[in-house]
Amino acid sequence: MNLYDLIVKKIKDIQGVGDESPVTNISTSSMLTAEITLISSILVALIMLRLVNKVLMIVAVLVVLFTVLTAMPLMPKFKKEQNDSLASMMFYIVIALAIVITLFYWGNLNV
Amino acid sequence: MNFLIALMVIVPILCALFLNLLHKKDRTIKVVTVLLALTLPALPLLANYGLHYFGGYVPLVENPTLANNLPPLITDTALNTFHPAITYSFQSAQQLFVFIFGLVALLAIFVSVFETRRPSGVYAYMMFMGVAAVTAVILTDDIFNLYVFFEIAALATVGIVLVSNVKGNYETALKYMIIGSIVAPLLLLGIALLLGVTGNVNITDIIYSIKNGLVDPQNPVILMACALIVFGWLYGSGLPPFHTIKSAIYSKALPSGAALMQAFSVFIFVAMGIIILRIFSYLPFSQWVILGVSLMAMILGITMAILQTDLKRMIGFLAVGELGYIGIGLGLSTAYGITAGLFQAVNEAMITAILFLGFGVVLYQTGISDTRKLGGMMVKTPLVAFLVLLGGFAMAGVPLLNAFQSKLMLIQGSIKAGLPELGVIMILLSIVTFMTFMKAFHAVYLRPMPDELVIKHEKIPKATIIAMLVLLGVCLIFGLFPQVATSYLQPLATSLAGGIL
Repeated sequence: MNLYDLIVKKIKDIQGVGDESPVTNISTSSMLTAEITLISSILVALIMLRLVNKVLMIVAVLVVLFTVLTAMPLMPKFKKEQNDSLASMMFYIVIALAIVITLFYWGNLNV
Repeated sequence: MNFLIALMVIVPILCALFLNLLHKKDRTIKVVTVLLALTLPALPLLANYGLHYFGGYVPLVENPTLANNLPPLITDTALNTFHPAITYSFQSAQQLFVFIFGLVALLAIFVSVFETRRPSGVYAYMMFMGVAAVTAVILTDDIFNLYVFFEIAALATVGIVLVSNVKGNYETALKYMIIGSIVAPLLLLGIALLLGVTGNVNITDIIYSIKNGLVDPQNPVILMACALIVFGWLYGSGLPPFHTIKSAIYSKALPSGAALMQAFSVFIFVAMGIIILRIFSYLPFSQWVILGVSLMAMILGITMAILQTDLKRMIGFLAVGELGYIGIGLGLSTAYGITAGLFQAVNEAMITAILFLGFGVVLYQTGISDTRKLGGMMVKTPLVAFLVLLGGFAMAGVPLLNAFQSKLMLIQGSIKAGLPELGVIMILLSIVTFMTFMKAFHAVYLRPMPDELVIKHEKIPKATIIAMLVLLGVCLIFGLFPQVATSYLQPLATSLAGGIL
């Protein structure tokens, strides 16, 4: 199964049985664009790790590249997670709170 | 005329209370609402720069009569310069912010009055209360006062959605309130911790205390306060993880309400971002957290936007993505970068309003916002299509329009700050923004009209066209003469950057 077919299948999975609308060229190309944008943005952003350590940057880019390539397509999963369910919103809010507090509290005192 | 500084907040509150009394008097509501809304952009143009002390309680150093009767224990210490009153600060940057916000509010209110058959005093009340609250957030130098108006803005947002007759509005408003009821107390806790450590709620005094060693800058309680205030900032402006609920809120409001609410988010983002930079810029992580969150907002907002089939939701996600550009400017922490970020904020507030109002015409005419069910609207509304196209060009950063200048400045700023990667990402995401917009534009205007599409209202309200023309006019002026806006922003940016150009 090539990437295009995989994305079409994923879109159908996400739409579920309740949505009768067909998977169109527009929806598939949108998903592909989002996928490529997401991956390329993350990889370019990781290059900023060079300010911390160049070896760390190379390792991070390679690890993320490998992870991304094996987990593709990512965007359908991202879309599924970013839904309007209150439960998933609350989950990510708690995660974000933990990250922000860790960064400021632990990060400023220990780094 | 420094009393006008206070009137920028008091007048919209009075307007809100007055309009709420006018029930079943449609024509009166229309006329009074528009007349009162005209004061919103006018007041910042008339007011002088300076400080306004509520109750007239000036710092002791400015009141020698009172200071002479006090012991040296007070007059010879920092207490002499502390601000006992709730203080509002009005400088050139605040003037531009309040003017542009007032202009967007005026036009959104103007459109709301003429797009609905029965104008509602309650809807106007919510809009004016929101305007008052966000104006106060922009002007205040008191962090507790900021919290109070932050909450009022959140409630006004919920109110605007509740009053809008859009399917699913109650559920989304309830979710927003539930999330707000968790985040807002955390923000208040952060402010309380800051008050506990510094003994002050005035932001200038808090900064004085931290910078002059009155409190330990690395005190863990201050670090926790910073984290909680940053978390409140994420909620108020709709940055991740709140981007989903924020875009949902926009999509469940009337176009005029959505246009106004996105301006709430932009200016709360800027106002609180400035406060975080002022107080916590000495913490090495503050810059990186701002940059990281902004980057996430850009990437998640824009990649989610392109997947949407609902017009309002698509613009909602784009609006979140564009907030990321502003945050990048603030996070660069150089005078040039911050100026670019603030300029982008001013531009985005106008451009997103144009798109909400422009695509709102389609919703007004067809009652549909699903792009899969639309098409052929170019034949019905060629002028609106042209104006929407210009709005989309502006958002994507096409030359001659304002966001081109601000995005170019942001890219230059990121290169100057030694972070060219951010410039690359911003260019990439601008291209995707353009693609997202063109996808929506093609779906609504260019492809053949579906047979089942019914036009409910042939006639477009002139108010919407006027509003879009005014906003595009300002976008064009800022695009051709960016210094008109940046000259107002540079003094604030320079002070925030602490001399780093």
